Amino acid sequence: MKSKKMNAKKLARLGLLTALALIIYIVELRLPDIAPIPGMKLGLANIVTVCALFTFSPKETALILYARIILGSIFASNPSAILYSISGGTLCLVGMALLRKHFSKKSIWLCSVYGAALHNIGQTAAAVFIMRTTAVLAYLPILIFFACISGALTGLTAQFIILRTNKKY
Amino acid sequence: MKTKRILFILAAAVFLISGIISVYLLFLRPKPEKVRITSDGETLYVLEPAREEDRLITVEYEGRENVIEIKDGRVHMLKADCPDHICIETGWLDNGLPIICLPNRLVIEYEDGRTDAAAG
Ligand SMILES: [Zn+2]
Repeated sequence: MKSKKMNAKKLARLGLLTALALIIYIVELRLPDIAPIPGMKLGLANIVTVCALFTFSPKETALILYARIILGSIFASNPSAILYSISGGTLCLVGMALLRKHFSKKSIWLCSVYGAALHNIGQTAAAVFIMRTTAVLAYLPILIFFACISGALTGLTAQFIILRTNKKY
Repeated sequence: MKTKRILFILAAAVFLISGIISVYLLFLRPKPEKVRITSDGETLYVLEPAREEDRLITVEYEGRENVIEIKDGRVHMLKADCPDHICIETGWLDNGLPIICLPNRLVIEYEDGRTDAAAG
C-alpha cells in the first residue's frame, strides 16, 4: 500500500520534470542559434537531466530524457533531428551515469561537462553515420570546446538547484 | 577522491586541446585548392573555385534543393530548402570548417586527401 503511494508520487515528479525539460527545450528552439554550426546549442534542457540523475536513478532519468526528446521532436522544425538527439542524449546519459559515483554534490558541474562533451560526440557520430562522410568531424573540436563551457554552466545551475532543494522534488 | 582529481585534469586537458585544434582549423590551416561537394555520401563535384567561372550549382536531395554559388573564386550556399538554414548562415567556405546541410545531406569541404581515403 505504502509503496504504491510512493510510486504515484514519484511518477508525478518524473512527469513534472519531463514537462519542465520540454518547456526549456522548446524555449531554446525559439532562441537564435549561437553559431551557424550544426548541433551547437546551449543544451539548457541538460539542467533537468543532471538534476534528475543526481536525484533519481539512471533508469528514471532515461525515462525523462527520452520522453522529452520524443515530445520535443514534434515541436522542432526538423523532426529528423531526433536521430541526432537520441544518439547524443544516450551517450551523455550513459557517460554521466557511469561517472556519477565519482562526483560529490559540489562537483556536479564537472559531471555535466563530461555529459555535454559526450552529447556532442554522440551527435557527431550520428551525423557521420547518416551523412556517410567524415567531413562533419571537423566541427567536433569546436563543439567539444563550447560544450565544456555550456556543460559547466548548466551543471552549475543544476548543482545550485540540488544544493538548495535538499529534499527530493 | 583521487579519481575526481584525474577527471578534473582530463576535462581541463580536453578543453584546452579542443580549443587549440579549433583555433588551428578556424585560422591557421592552409587552404587546399580543391573543393569537394558531396551529396548523401556521394561525391558530385571536385573543383577548383579559383579557376571556375562564376556560376550556380543546384543539388537536389529527396525533392529538396540546395543552390551553391561560386563567385570570385569562392564558394557558399546561396539558397536551401532545409528547415534550419545553418548551411546558408555558415557563409563562404574559407577555413577548415566545411559547409554542411544536415537535413539535405550536402557537404561542401576542402579536399585534402584525408577525405579521399575516408570516402572509400
Ligand atoms: Zn541547410
